[in-house]
Amino acid sequence: MSLKKDLTNLLGSNAVFDDEETLRHYSRDQSFVPQCMPDAVAFPESVEQIQAIVAYANQTAVPLVPYSSGLNMHGGTVPKEGGVILNMSRMNRIIEVDQDNWFAVVEPGVTIRQLQNALEEKGLRAMLPLGTPPARSALTSCVERDPALASASFEYGNDLLMDTEIVLPDGELFKTGLWSAGGRPGSHMGPVRSMLYRFWTAAQGTLGILTKACIKVEHLPGMMEIRAFRFNSFNESLAALIDIQRREIGLECFLLNKLNLAALYCDDWHVPEEFPASPVASQDFSTLLDALPCWTLFVCLHGAPELPEEKIAYQAETLDEIAGHHGLNSVPLNGKQELLQHELLRPWGVLKKYNFKGAVHDLSFKAPLKRIPEFQHIIARVAEKYAYPIEEIGGYILPVERGRGAHCEFDFHAGPDGAAGHERIHALWREAGELLVDEGAFFDRPYGDWADMMYSRTGEYTAKLRELKIELDPNNILNPGHLCF
Amino acid sequence: MAAEQKQKVTQKKLAPHVYQALEDVVGKRWISEKRSLVETYSKLSIEGMTFVRKHRKDDTAVPACVVLPGTTGEVQSIVKVCNRYSVPFIPFTNGQVFSATTNDQPTLIIHLSRMNSIINIDTDNMVATLQAYVDYAQLQAEAMKHGLWNGGTPLATTVCKLSSQFSFAGLWQTDLKYGLLNRNLVSVKMVLPDGKILTVGSRCLPKAGDFWEYGPGPDLLGMQRGGAGSNGIVTEITVKLHPWAGDTTLPEVPHGRPSLEDVHEPKYDSPPPPANHRLHWIEFKDFSSQIKTMRDISHSGIAIGLNATGVYSAYYCSQTQEMTWERCKNKFFPDYNCYVIIAGITSAKQIDYEEKVLQKIVERNGGTFLTADHKPEVLEALKPWNLDCIRHTCGFRMNRKMYANAWLPTGPFEVGRQTQEFWSDALNAFGECDITDRGGADDTPFLYALQRGRFSFAEVDNYPDPTNPEEIQKAAGYGIYGMARLVKEKVCPCLMAFLSVEPFTTMFPEVGPNQHTLFQKIRRVFDPKGVNAPGRQVYTREEWENVPPMLKQWVNKMREMVGLESVQ
Repeated sequence: MSLKKDLTNLLGSNAVFDDEETLRHYSRDQSFVPQCMPDAVAFPESVEQIQAIVAYANQTAVPLVPYSSGLNMHGGTVPKEGGVILNMSRMNRIIEVDQDNWFAVVEPGVTIRQLQNALEEKGLRAMLPLGTPPARSALTSCVERDPALASASFEYGNDLLMDTEIVLPDGELFKTGLWSAGGRPGSHMGPVRSMLYRFWTAAQGTLGILTKACIKVEHLPGMMEIRAFRFNSFNESLAALIDIQRREIGLECFLLNKLNLAALYCDDWHVPEEFPASPVASQDFSTLLDALPCWTLFVCLHGAPELPEEKIAYQAETLDEIAGHHGLNSVPLNGKQELLQHELLRPWGVLKKYNFKGAVHDLSFKAPLKRIPEFQHIIARVAEKYAYPIEEIGGYILPVERGRGAHCEFDFHAGPDGAAGHERIHALWREAGELLVDEGAFFDRPYGDWADMMYSRTGEYTAKLRELKIELDPNNILNPGHLCF
Repeated sequence: MAAEQKQKVTQKKLAPHVYQALEDVVGKRWISEKRSLVETYSKLSIEGMTFVRKHRKDDTAVPACVVLPGTTGEVQSIVKVCNRYSVPFIPFTNGQVFSATTNDQPTLIIHLSRMNSIINIDTDNMVATLQAYVDYAQLQAEAMKHGLWNGGTPLATTVCKLSSQFSFAGLWQTDLKYGLLNRNLVSVKMVLPDGKILTVGSRCLPKAGDFWEYGPGPDLLGMQRGGAGSNGIVTEITVKLHPWAGDTTLPEVPHGRPSLEDVHEPKYDSPPPPANHRLHWIEFKDFSSQIKTMRDISHSGIAIGLNATGVYSAYYCSQTQEMTWERCKNKFFPDYNCYVIIAGITSAKQIDYEEKVLQKIVERNGGTFLTADHKPEVLEALKPWNLDCIRHTCGFRMNRKMYANAWLPTGPFEVGRQTQEFWSDALNAFGECDITDRGGADDTPFLYALQRGRFSFAEVDNYPDPTNPEEIQKAAGYGIYGMARLVKEKVCPCLMAFLSVEPFTTMFPEVGPNQHTLFQKIRRVFDPKGVNAPGRQVYTREEWENVPPMLKQWVNKMREMVGLESVQ
């Protein structure tokens, strides 16, 4: 029997596709990861169907590529060995929002926009990452450790994943957290001390297929105040940034360089529906680029559920004190407060940057705050070597857990695959990545080429991951070829 | 029991060539098989089953030998010797739980007490790297000098080692803001059961530094913690630090320090709270209003700690056991109460703001603050918590008899109510060992608010006399019944301290489901020869077959009692 027939027997009609146009759509994304055609695309609608497909894959050695929204943008769902794309977008229920205990239970097809809209109706919010498409899966974003904008806060911005339900590579359904006791969800901790759920984070679907997850949500602030400060370099912001973090001021706190901020502010551009996008010329963008400071630090003060004005007031007072001490230059946000506040809850406006050239190739890594200038220098040096204009590098720095480290994103802009200069940007991106890893930039989510760069340098960690993969997925059916598998 | 009391206990020994190989690693001074020495490692402070084994004169409880390595390299060499000669080994720090021998083979104890240095406090990245035997008090004292702290200490005792808590517990009084130790891990360096070295987090990449806890890619840190000490030996641990609003040292008690003669006088137990910290006590008319208030406080975003202390206050705040009993008998402490720790991290105005919010919430829910005008004598008696809410020093009072069981169900605050109900049933079924066993049945169980109140841990315990086998046996009933009851009710039985916790997944395959089969796969990867505390986390089929029939009978009796089918 053909693959399509077999899958149709398992899923029913109108759930399996293998026409060329569909397969081509799933064969690539906007990243440099090489194109590879899958053999079929299947749309399961239940856990039982997923288990049946996994059993089938184990019998036939057909690779399965778990796929929720396909908006990972780094090649995480581009097949390496063909096989079946397991598109989970039909499993798109928000199963529960618990207003007493502040969590939401979602299936993999629930998008971040869908979740945020549903939560707002109940006076709650999800903590979302900056620059993630609204159609990205909320579950996948969490499981792939996309860094939430509120990551500066130890309490509110990180560790958002609680209970998980997963179909393991052998087809067994397994649960972690409170769920593993068979009852209601609400904690990452279960009856055993293990934090096994962390094993499937940033795994790109290689270790199991998440079928639902319980995610932390937060109070929707009724009152917010965003403060901004301008700097000529990231280095110039460092001392004040550290003081602000150590005094635990604000929830969101991040820096954007002028290219990213100009894209966010640009009135001519819209958030693209598809990636890569078609470039759009904009005079507004050029004007903004000339006018904006090299870096802008944003500190977002939130009113709590009780006495919100007073909370903002005491935080603002200390922020003013620090600003005075460091001689910071405030940036008036006249007319931009609303846009920025909107961006905190629906943080995809910055994706307007795709209008610049069409595709964006970022270098996303974690680094100690004080080492960021060193890594910026490496990036600038390689850009110069490849004659890439420094002012066309996008920059986003997000302190994590009050400055214990930072999430760094530096973007190179390029035309889509096949456009002039595409190969040059690829070479630049790769060389910069290699040099960064050599110097210790930590690509904790090693997509595409970063996987080899990282895993060739992490010895026993890599060896143990491989051994575990063999033990858990002896037929290597789940997203083979990704990470170090 | 009488026949068993006459039984002679014979210590098993390592083969001479194995002993010699180990002595070659550490030198004569740091290895011993003297009976008087190894006997120490056969009774753990709060693991009830080891007391049962002692009372039964079970010779498998006595280890063969103890060795004290001084470096990661020596640990590695010792583990390689154990692999070569198939000798089971047990890593050992405090010896509270998870340190007993696990089978009938001559077993080596690897005691990590020589590895007790703070390797580094990185003030830039707010992390501390510690050797395996560094305790919370050591870490706090050093970190506070730099305006940082680790976010709490466990309720049991500050002399707990962070490396061993990595493998198991790490429940703090400031979990509301900082979470458990598992939320505060950055990395570990481990000697794996096969002698290889594994580092996790960013330190596994050369030049990256030790600041980031995940990856690369799938995260092994959580899995290693899940190993309950059987996936390797932690020789270095890096933990997160947080801004500390207090002074560089904790305040002294105004009355100075006691002498041996007057150590039990309460005046020595009245420390002020640390600078920029306040502790507020609130009582409630019933459990419902307590739960409602705790949830409101959690959601308001104020405070760094929020806990209901229950019977613990009678232990922590009573300088003698007689006082503890008296206070329980007379209901000295309010039945329903909790404390709130407020810290001024941003500024002094943060404290003013948070106190105002607290006032508002408490008033709204009908709670009453303990003050100079309302139950001042109770407020005075609770003063030990001023220090203990930051650094525990009174936890040892729980062990005056034996702190044998700990039911620690996890879940939303309502889990406290379920715990109360199930614990009352257990008291009715088995009878109490001590009047303090009633804590949590007649009043609030201990209730820890975690991660802004999203979930909580309730806690109830037994306090049997460890020298009395009947009381220990009774307490064992609570332990196994608790596990069965919670599994039956689909409530999460996190940390049950009578049994070694993890192997219960074999006895209760409902968990996961079939969590034990996943653990078995993981164990095959990390410990192919089965030498690292074999059976501590999960049994192989063969080990399960060799589990003492008595334990299986107990488990099945309790499963049957709550309406679960037997396991074979």
